[in-house]
Amino acid sequence: MKVLTHKQELCTGCRECELACSRTYFKTDDRNYSAIRIIENNKTYRANKCTQCGECIDMCTANAIYRDRNGVVRIDKKKCVGCLGCVGFCTELVMFYADDLDVPFKCIACDVCSRACPEGALEVLVSRVKEN
Amino acid sequence: MIKVNTEDFPWHPGMTVRALLDEKLFTFRHIIVRVNGEFVPEEDYEKQLIQDGDDVLVLHLMAGG
Amino acid sequence: MGTILKDYSYTPAKVKRGYSGKSLYINVSDLSIEQKEITDFMKEKFTGGKGFDLWYLWHAVTPETRWDSPENEIVMSVGPIGGITQYAGTGKTLVCSISPLTDMPIDSNVGGYFGPLLKFSGWDAFELQGKSEKEILIFIDGNNGRIQIEEAEDLPEDAHLLAEELTKKYAENEDDMVNISVVCTGSVAKHAYMGMLNFSFYDPRRKVCRFKQAARGGLGTILHDKKVKALVVKYRGVKPNLNDAADISTINKVGVKYHKEMHDLDHKQNKMRQIGTANTIMIMSQYDLLPTRNFQMGGDPETVKISPQVFIEEWLTQGLHDGCWYGCTMSCAKCADHFLLTTGPYAGQRVTVDGPEYECAAGLGANLGVFDPQAILEENFYCDTYGIDLISFATCTAFIMECYQRGQITREQMGGLDLRFGNSQAVLELMHLMSRGEGFGKIAGLGIRKLKKVFVEEFGADPQLLQDIGMEVKGLEYSEYAHKESLAQQGGFAMAIKGPQHDEAWLIFMDMVNKQLPTFEDKANALYYFPMFRTWFGLVGLCKLPWNDIVPADNYKTDSPAKVPEHVQNYVDLFNAVTGRNIDKEELIIQSERVYQFQRVFNVRMGKGERKDDYAPYRSLGPVTREEYLSRQELYDKQLRDFQQLDPETMDLDEKIAATRRYREDQYEQLMDAVYRRRGWTENGIPTPERLKEIGMDLPELLEVIEPKL
Ligand code: SF4
Ligand code: SF4
Ligand code: SF4
Repeated sequence: MKVLTHKQELCTGCRECELACSRTYFKTDDRNYSAIRIIENNKTYRANKCTQCGECIDMCTANAIYRDRNGVVRIDKKKCVGCLGCVGFCTELVMFYADDLDVPFKCIACDVCSRACPEGALEVLVSRVKEN
Repeated sequence: MIKVNTEDFPWHPGMTVRALLDEKLFTFRHIIVRVNGEFVPEEDYEKQLIQDGDDVLVLHLMAGG
Repeated sequence: MGTILKDYSYTPAKVKRGYSGKSLYINVSDLSIEQKEITDFMKEKFTGGKGFDLWYLWHAVTPETRWDSPENEIVMSVGPIGGITQYAGTGKTLVCSISPLTDMPIDSNVGGYFGPLLKFSGWDAFELQGKSEKEILIFIDGNNGRIQIEEAEDLPEDAHLLAEELTKKYAENEDDMVNISVVCTGSVAKHAYMGMLNFSFYDPRRKVCRFKQAARGGLGTILHDKKVKALVVKYRGVKPNLNDAADISTINKVGVKYHKEMHDLDHKQNKMRQIGTANTIMIMSQYDLLPTRNFQMGGDPETVKISPQVFIEEWLTQGLHDGCWYGCTMSCAKCADHFLLTTGPYAGQRVTVDGPEYECAAGLGANLGVFDPQAILEENFYCDTYGIDLISFATCTAFIMECYQRGQITREQMGGLDLRFGNSQAVLELMHLMSRGEGFGKIAGLGIRKLKKVFVEEFGADPQLLQDIGMEVKGLEYSEYAHKESLAQQGGFAMAIKGPQHDEAWLIFMDMVNKQLPTFEDKANALYYFPMFRTWFGLVGLCKLPWNDIVPADNYKTDSPAKVPEHVQNYVDLFNAVTGRNIDKEELIIQSERVYQFQRVFNVRMGKGERKDDYAPYRSLGPVTREEYLSRQELYDKQLRDFQQLDPETMDLDEKIAATRRYREDQYEQLMDAVYRRRGWTENGIPTPERLKEIGMDLPELLEVIEPKL
């Protein structure tokens, strides 16, 4: 399964990843539209992003969340009704929404942010672990 | 004698909140306990002693059905 | 498939601020179809949902109208908040009609997708009037603005077959099935007054039609009488803001906060996501509130056999979303999958059983003396597919069983059925007989009020005993809570406006355990606030459960935890955010009271709704029989001493029973006086013109009804 990983010790908090994500998917520099969020704590930087744990799949009230062939947890936009249940239920707090969108969004391990990171702190790993 | 939800209830030395709940057969989990007006958190039910003459409230939080 | 009898095109009205502004009227006598405007007057006085239903119903009927009169209507409406997806419990439709059991308005609050999809198809409300000659079905296509009425003679009767067939018929493909909702009853509606309405929603994970029920008061019987086999709505394209809310941002914020609360707290509180409403079975038994063997007792040691743990571990599928509308993260609509039926026409088949809800486990379980989870699930399945209101069925059958136990009726009179408490096979057989309209099944579904008459007049039963143990008020059977030791709840049931259903007030813990309502005035205040507050759910399209089946972590710090103040504020915020209005929690209560008082006057207009109609059977108030007295002798003796200064040592058992009864009946009278005062009613239970004026409901048609009664 594919999952985005972050090396804290390399991260300088420049937030290029956030911009890359929001620009790619929503054509905006507004970080509230990024599926990765860098959180600062005492000059160390943590990245909040989906772990692809799949907890949201069974709880989805419209059966719109599924795991794709690469093991990435995705929302089927045609089925999603924007109930935001998954936003409240994601333990990692990494299912995001915005008031002008009909569907929430999350990290799909696409590699856009890792390519944009000048420090090489982000990497999409492919694990062979069989997913649930 | 103590008061439990405004009614008399026999007291005995060493009575904890937990013991009182057991004796009253209060098995419902979703409750608030106050002893003489002071809120008692659930973690303290085993420790908190009730004194003779205390006024205990055990509010069952269900207005459901 | 059947011939099309009528094909009607319309332009679906777009929903604005929660209202489409249009209602649909169909008369199945002459197949005429009309559109009506939802006026500002209606929104102002009646808000929506049950309010709209009752307003239309009022104008459709006369005081002489009975359930099977052609002019009787089934009216349904979802209310302005109904259909939002971001909060739990936002898809409830309210259904009203003149009931065969009570001869006055009944209302039922039901989930399933029908109401929201109907609104998105352009209709805030739907009136169904008349009687068709042939069996028909009505199909509303909300995307294309089309209504078709077609012949439905050869469709199956039972709900699980019918809903599946119709869902497949109207869906273009598998993914389209979720866009269809069917309303239908089942085969019992032909032969019983307690036929209910099933509202379907398609479960894409299990690939079956699931159901919620507009259960109370015989709505299914009325649909069948109109020869309408099914109503079907189809609407594709549910999105977060089809209600055109004034402030979507607030809705999102409140919704996410609530979903998070559910995620963080439900497993520590009521476990609604694991077991649904049946979570309270054991608690009810331990607190003497679980009606057992026709409300004789309040619990039984055998209850452990039907405990929540048993259902969770052995029967109910865990972990999947089970909401009856999108966004309901409370997800209480549990089900047992691959359940193997052992009786009846579907014996040997594996089915998905919706439930059991609390009422089912309590009513079809403990109240019939059945402590067997498998039997309860089988009863549950057949109630649903046959279209039986399981509450009326359970309470009515418990009554029959006690009549049999006490020798008031014989096995022969029941056509050989051995309806002993605990005999689940006989209970199931009774359902099958009802479905076929054979033998004792022909009369068992008449409801307790009519059965009392039959048993007395034809079988020579003792009228006083039957009056005391027949758990009905206004003709409607009680829902499943024993409540002898809570005076407030006795009033909550017997003074409930449509009949004894707990959806107006559940005060047992506040009253009996917490002792928070010591005086008549305290009880009357609670019997004002809670019925008003809870009426509001049915005006706006909400489910009651998400209000207080979970509470915020700091709820205990508030000054009135029983009201769950934070959730009340959520509702105020949601209403304002959808409609763009600006109500507060006091205005919310007034919105409800307008409709509540209207419904009471409606009862008066139908010859009910007076003091005489608010009396409870004595089984509700206290111990009828010696066994009941003896089972709690210590308590009752103490009450004789404390409340009446009597010395039980000097009295024999029958004297003690009689003294207890005198006292309790007097208490109930005093409670009525206090409640009537608080509700602004005369001593005879009639809303006063002054009160109607205060809340802006001094409408001429209401004053005309009450004036002769003042
Ligand atoms: S969005 Fe949250 S719950 Fe869903 S897979 Fe990612 S981390 Fe897990
Ligand atoms: S917002 Fe969409 S993806 Fe998330 S739970 Fe609701 S329907 Fe499913
Ligand atoms: S709480 Fe249960 S009954 Fe209410 S809307 Fe949710 S799933 Fe339906």
